[in-house]
Amino acid sequence: MKVKRWKRPAWAGMALAVALAATPGCSSGDEGQSAASGGASGAASADDKQPITLTMYMPQANPNYENMESPVGKKITEETGVKLQMEFVVGDEKQKVSLMAASGEYPDLIYGHGNENVLVDAGAYLDLTDLIEEYGPNLKKLYGPYLKRLRWSKEDPSIYFVGSYGVNEQRWTPETGFELQHAVVQELGYPKLKTLQDFESAIKTYKDKHPTIDGQPTIGLSILADDWRYKISVTNPALFASGGPDDGEWYVDPETQKAVFHYMRPEEKEYFKWLNHMNNIGLLDKESFVQKYDQYAEKIASGRVLALADAKWEYGDSEKALRQDKPERMYGMYPITLNEDIKYADFQSAGYSAGWGVGISKTAKDPVRAIKFLDWLASDEAQVLNNWGIEGENYRVVDGKRVIPPEEMEKRKSDPDYFKKTGIGVYGFPFPQYGIGVKDPSGQTYTPDSIDTIIANYTDVEKDVLAGYGAKMWKDLYPAESEFPIKPWGKAWQINIPQDSDAAVIAQKCEDIVKKKVPEMILAKPERFEEVWAEFIADLEKAGVHQMEEEFSALLQERIKLWNE
Amino acid sequence: MPQTAVKSGGKASDRIFTALLYALMTTVGVVTLYPFINILAISLNDSADTVRGGIYLWPRSFTLDNYRTIFQYSNLLTAFGNSVLRTVLGTFAGLFSASLIAYSLSRKDFVARRFVSLALAFTLYFSGGLVPVYMLIRDLHLLNSFWVYILPGLVSAWNVFILRSYIDGLPFVLQESAKLDGANDLQIFAKVILPLCKPVLATIALFLAVGQWNAWFDTFLYNGGRTSLTTLQYELMKILQNTSASGGNAAAVHGGQELANRVSPESIRMSITIVATVPILVVYPFLQNYFVKGLTLGAVKS
Amino acid sequence: MQRVRKGGTSFKLWREQKWLFLMSVPFVLWIFVFNYLPVWGWTMAFQNFRPGRAFGDQEWVGLSHFAELFADERFYLVLRNTLGMSLLGLFVGYTVPIAFALLLNEMRGRVFKRSIQTIAYLPHFVSWVIVAGLVTKMLSVDGIVNELLMLLHLTDEPIQFMAREHWFWGVVTMSDMWKETGWNSIIFLAAIVGIDPELHEAATMDGAGRFRRMWHITLPGIRPTIMVMLILSIGWLTSIGFEKQYLLGNPIVSDYSEVLDLYVLNYGIKVGRYSYGTAIGIFNSVVSIVLLLISNGIFKRMTKESVI
Repeated sequence: MKVKRWKRPAWAGMALAVALAATPGCSSGDEGQSAASGGASGAASADDKQPITLTMYMPQANPNYENMESPVGKKITEETGVKLQMEFVVGDEKQKVSLMAASGEYPDLIYGHGNENVLVDAGAYLDLTDLIEEYGPNLKKLYGPYLKRLRWSKEDPSIYFVGSYGVNEQRWTPETGFELQHAVVQELGYPKLKTLQDFESAIKTYKDKHPTIDGQPTIGLSILADDWRYKISVTNPALFASGGPDDGEWYVDPETQKAVFHYMRPEEKEYFKWLNHMNNIGLLDKESFVQKYDQYAEKIASGRVLALADAKWEYGDSEKALRQDKPERMYGMYPITLNEDIKYADFQSAGYSAGWGVGISKTAKDPVRAIKFLDWLASDEAQVLNNWGIEGENYRVVDGKRVIPPEEMEKRKSDPDYFKKTGIGVYGFPFPQYGIGVKDPSGQTYTPDSIDTIIANYTDVEKDVLAGYGAKMWKDLYPAESEFPIKPWGKAWQINIPQDSDAAVIAQKCEDIVKKKVPEMILAKPERFEEVWAEFIADLEKAGVHQMEEEFSALLQERIKLWNE
Repeated sequence: MPQTAVKSGGKASDRIFTALLYALMTTVGVVTLYPFINILAISLNDSADTVRGGIYLWPRSFTLDNYRTIFQYSNLLTAFGNSVLRTVLGTFAGLFSASLIAYSLSRKDFVARRFVSLALAFTLYFSGGLVPVYMLIRDLHLLNSFWVYILPGLVSAWNVFILRSYIDGLPFVLQESAKLDGANDLQIFAKVILPLCKPVLATIALFLAVGQWNAWFDTFLYNGGRTSLTTLQYELMKILQNTSASGGNAAAVHGGQELANRVSPESIRMSITIVATVPILVVYPFLQNYFVKGLTLGAVKS
Repeated sequence: MQRVRKGGTSFKLWREQKWLFLMSVPFVLWIFVFNYLPVWGWTMAFQNFRPGRAFGDQEWVGLSHFAELFADERFYLVLRNTLGMSLLGLFVGYTVPIAFALLLNEMRGRVFKRSIQTIAYLPHFVSWVIVAGLVTKMLSVDGIVNELLMLLHLTDEPIQFMAREHWFWGVVTMSDMWKETGWNSIIFLAAIVGIDPELHEAATMDGAGRFRRMWHITLPGIRPTIMVMLILSIGWLTSIGFEKQYLLGNPIVSDYSEVLDLYVLNYGIKVGRYSYGTAIGIFNSVVSIVLLLISNGIFKRMTKESVI
């Protein structure tokens, strides 16, 4: 019926859509594609504080980033004229980096975060050597003798980025270890805890006595294998218990300076055999290889896991839930080793390891302003601003010393958004910074942390346990830094294996083998352990582990030469 | 039809069927709703307390802090605006393209039918890869532009084929009679076909809207450096990744260690889910009208 | 169709089908630009592509990436897992939502029906990270499933569901079913609505019961939709993503959980081998298109209709 009137179709909407669709080029502005500014230096020095926006690629998100709108952020803009526009990476970094490299479009500043080799290969960075020489007095002072460690390689001695991580950092707390609940050591009268056997018998004795905690079955030792975390809690402890320092998946022989894939060391077999034994006698959490991080955290927070083999930062959060009601269920950290002759090397120094850092791209709008910005961030003024905040607001100066008033300290500790609101700490990492414990010209540390603040933060139970072992800090239980030589190669895990090299592929294959075989050998019947271990080593060898070790050792030796000549 | 169905369904077997049906559907309802309630409860629970587990239907230690943490991100409002805009524009643009193509493909007499159909179908199964697509987007000046959310994905073969199969099911008589009345193809499409396609158009609109709403990867790839073009899902992904210690080795944590330990990832994750989901959920009941109510096809026919 | 071939009719043809051309050809050009142009990237599979180098400076390596791929044992393992899980997913992912849509259509309480429908599609919006967390928690030794089984005395000792490698495909499929059934049923519901009510009325007059009407009217009524989706999905058998497998998996079940897309990530992008990743992508596309054409061909032979 009404099918008659055909004359005027109501096209308006569609026509609009067509028009809209037909103009693909209506992008707004082209700021993102800042054409390479040829004459970089120009008249830069005259207007040093001219407002300028520097874009920055930042693959590691910072939850406290505040778009430079906090007091500290504003202060930085005021002092330097720089407004940073951060590009955080949400997906896969490797993808983003390869897109940047393929398209040749870079932001002004780039934090490589382990992908420096792709960027260097694509020619993304400016060589900073001359810029630092001319505009970087603070950078030179900050890195001091380590400046040469910033060089890329022997063939290409350019400086492409200024290293992240604090320079000359002092360490007051252990990062890794074997953890036991305070309740366990207290009940057993502070037993000797040196070897795996000591550790095992402490767990066993306590668990036999207390088969349940708060009505739930007691768990002896729980380890975590969720995704990449298996390295932290399953396999790293094998390296540490056998005396290796944290070089990631590597163990470097201090004599020959040759690197081995750490699982290849016969000592480590002993550790895995011990885990197998623990599983066999029911002291290892049955769900160790199945549980996800959340479940693991939940178990710890329930207070029924007696022992861990983990890094502090991984279990620390879950432990906090116990602080109020059950401080005796929190953990102490012990440097357990295979036997008493081995020294747990948590505190061995790597010197300054400059493998990763912030560089200036070859397409940067104004490299001179960029380097001046980085240099300013390295200055004493900026370091204090970053760590302490604004004088009169976040701290006061009393008798020439910086002091944080108690109420401010309280906020600092308890307000989750303190750092975001004030901007304190936001512009530290990954920019150049002094390490914790380094003193400024006035003799005070650049950072507010100190031994006293750490001890003040211990619970009473914790203090009792430490006293029981005759120590003031957990650090005191560990072999001291001075007992070890400084590793001349820095941190081996920071050495980038070149992309698409054989070693990179072999490393991936080995990772898959480790992930598969290690759980298998731990869960195997004890009489099958040797067999699975032999398969494990055979698989690694078949995958080319020795070739990878050779390639890596070559890289390592090149770095040692470059850094220590 | 419902009336007749009820009347004729007075048999005992029918009543048993109805009872079973309701029991089954209630189970389905519970099983699918429970996790959502659980998520809501955890999102409203104190994050430190959540770690202890055991939160099921309601929060144990009520707080809005998790939401506060999320909403502190200053560009959430811009992000929300962009998300709404891309959802609305993207949905209409997608419906527009899909329906036009689908109609032309439904016409068995259209000479280019096979060609268009194959050209479309193949796009479902290959991609040139990230790098070439990125370079193309750059060369079209779509980097750092809002239009990158709409234009590259304008034509969705999947939607076209769904729509075409629906049109295929419509009685062809309608088109013929319109043709006899002197209507051209465009008019037939707009006046006869489109109104009949409401249920499937509503469905496709839902797919498009949800797709647009949930997209974050394009923001990350093409507009990551431009705060003014950010989208809600992208911002939420950022928070999500912030709160979970990232990276495969200790190094990643050294830098963010003291900063990133504030809020338990779980509670935050749950509140992010709620914030990301609720706005798009409201679209559904609205569109649902179109495919729950029967169409009065018969009326048009006569 | 046949008229086309005759010479001299092209003008007439244009006049007749002008609108049909205008409705589709511009969009074909559009997809040519956005989908077909970037296919030059496939050349990467024959190079050792390094980002940041000009096209001419890339190193050409012929078919070596393909050779390496087909020589890798792991590739066959992940291919098996991918096909296994996607076939299971294809089966469950069609039958269950269709059944759900049919049953939902039989419900009469308006409010109840709508609520169930709305609730059932909620899980679609929950990300896999969270779903995986919920699933592992429910299936853990002290999870609700084990508690239930113990209560009913179906087992004396808690079962470690997530540690049984042979169950992994099932776990993935069930989780997927839970998450997507409601969502996937929407399209079938819409199709059901499009069925001419007169058909139902006529059948009812003839005394057809509920099931007969479902079987003989509703199901055939949505058949075109089912077939289109099925055939298009068959082309995706090798590309199922890796997110759910990755998140639900653990080292114990890795022989059954690793899929092709994860392999691409680990042995392609992650180690900087874009070329290797591209080679797998090409393999995938070729398999997809062959599968698509075969299934469409079978369909065509059986019904004289064609999906594409």
